[in-house]
Amino acid sequence: MSTCKPLFRTLPRQCQRINNLPLTQTRHESTTRRHKKLLHLPESPSYTSTTSEPTLIFNPPSASPNVYHTPSKFLPKDDSRKKLYAAAVKYSTQFAHRTSTPTTSTPGTPLQTTAFLPPKPSSNLPPPIRTPYEKKYHLTDADIAEIRSLRAQDPVYWTRVRLAEKFKCSQFFVGMVAKNHEKSERVAEEHQRARERWGTRRRMAKEDRGRRKELWGQDA
Amino acid sequence: MKRIRITSCGNQLLAQPTSRRPSCLRSPAALQNSCTPHNHRIQSRLQTTAATSDNPFDSLEASATQRSQSSNTSSKPARYPNKQPLVTLPSPHPSAAQHSAKLAALRSRLSLPQRFPLQTLARTLIHPSADPNPAFNNGSLSILGGNLLGYYTTEYLLANYPRLPMAVVFAAQSAYTGPKALATIASEWGIEAAAEPGGEVDPGLLQFKRLRSGDDLPASLRNQRRYKWNVTTTNKVLESDEFGSATQSPSSQQLSTQQVPLEEAAQSFVRALIGSLHLHLGRPLVKRFFRDHFLSRHLDLSTLFDFRTPTRDLSRLCAREGFEAPVARLISETGRLSRHPVFVVGVYSGKDKLGEGAGSSLDEARVRAAAAALKGWYLYRPTEVTVPSSMEGETDQSKWKPNMVDCGEVIV
Repeated sequence: MSTCKPLFRTLPRQCQRINNLPLTQTRHESTTRRHKKLLHLPESPSYTSTTSEPTLIFNPPSASPNVYHTPSKFLPKDDSRKKLYAAAVKYSTQFAHRTSTPTTSTPGTPLQTTAFLPPKPSSNLPPPIRTPYEKKYHLTDADIAEIRSLRAQDPVYWTRVRLAEKFKCSQFFVGMVAKNHEKSERVAEEHQRARERWGTRRRMAKEDRGRRKELWGQDA
Repeated sequence: MKRIRITSCGNQLLAQPTSRRPSCLRSPAALQNSCTPHNHRIQSRLQTTAATSDNPFDSLEASATQRSQSSNTSSKPARYPNKQPLVTLPSPHPSAAQHSAKLAALRSRLSLPQRFPLQTLARTLIHPSADPNPAFNNGSLSILGGNLLGYYTTEYLLANYPRLPMAVVFAAQSAYTGPKALATIASEWGIEAAAEPGGEVDPGLLQFKRLRSGDDLPASLRNQRRYKWNVTTTNKVLESDEFGSATQSPSSQQLSTQQVPLEEAAQSFVRALIGSLHLHLGRPLVKRFFRDHFLSRHLDLSTLFDFRTPTRDLSRLCAREGFEAPVARLISETGRLSRHPVFVVGVYSGKDKLGEGAGSSLDEARVRAAAAALKGWYLYRPTEVTVPSSMEGETDQSKWKPNMVDCGEVIV
């Protein structure tokens, strides 16, 4: 053991063999073993093949889906990939209904957890970001005329928001039906005046934000 | 003692050439007027394919003399040619191609067969700006090659990606065979440009009249559209070239004796090479050459898209195709109240997921997911594709499978 050498060198010759105790060192888990050996985990069995024959190991890192993989809804009816997708769905459904779950590594190792099963077909979809709504098309011509008259009477009080709440339609629809050009110009001027008061940092931050927003539609 | 140049003497005694088929560019009468009948260079050069091995290099000086005489006094033939150097030629003599190491190296570098003559390879390197004579420059060949390149690229794109929007088709077309791409390919092939074109220059160099730094582009190469004009895609389809570019590609006559940038000359060389390969070696070899040198270049089509209103486009698309309206659903999230949250949003139509996107705000993730779904639609690729040019000259029509033709992009 290389660690014993300095000890031998430092010991005087007389006291080298005082008693008959063997000169072996003992190390506790509090030192080397704790740092080196315990952290040396065995390989995860999912990455190593147990058989000598060549096998396919498919364990991709998590990443955003490839846009070149056309979703099955977008495939034409006569495309051969439709069948493959259907077979995959069938297989994953069978797999999802299994009772015993496979583990990701051998029992007793720290990495051992149960594998995720594919979602059952009966399970709910993830929650929607906005509550979905149906278009109602319930407003009659009389309603639309009333919207216009209200908006023309008092555009400061009867804003798009208030009219939309009153008639249970979208603000976009109110703007489409009864657009008040004077008010929109006035508001735009106010906004412009507020924008002119911005300093350098705020303006640059806003411009950068607009530039980043353009990238949303470019790189997905 | 000096040898008598038999070839040059013999040529002077030759009769007037019999009238050939009329050429497109000039009438036969005009051709005979401009070219003296005994012009050695033209006599040997008009048969482009014939490799004139019997033309010794030492006769170059004499023929150069004759050509310069003929260009100076175009109306009457020069009877007493006095000795003038090769410098008077606008571009290298065709017979010099046989002795150029650069040309031979280029031919073997491109793996072209030995039956492709070096004279033609030398001609493809002469831009009209160096030599205005259409019998010696690459103008005609580059028209043919440009059309072939455009045809092969377009059919590849349309057959393999039938749903691509027109703007992306234009962008992909210019990425594969646009002027910049061709200039890059030429430089990768090791094409070097001559500092100044001339008869004494090595024919393995690209011959063109260089645009001096700081000078303006010639008018035919400049952008002809006004800066603020809103040019629609329909207008580009109808009026522009295959790249949807703002400039009409100039004809070789327009560029003759003009100063041009290197990019213009290099792209005309690549086009002319394709044209001459088509003439000498035939279609199958040109298609193989195209596949090896042009289609093999990697282009990620998914980066060419630029959606401004992806969510609107996607709901329009779903309405058009009869799918349920798309709904954005939150698949997973992390750190909503932190400085760097990440949301993963999927766009679903009914129970099917159309696309998935991640972003630092719910809006960003939703827009990105819609853009990904649209890309999934537009980048659809059929499994079996038969490009039309692969069936040219085939008698057995059973191999032909009709390609998919899509109804077009989404218009909001």
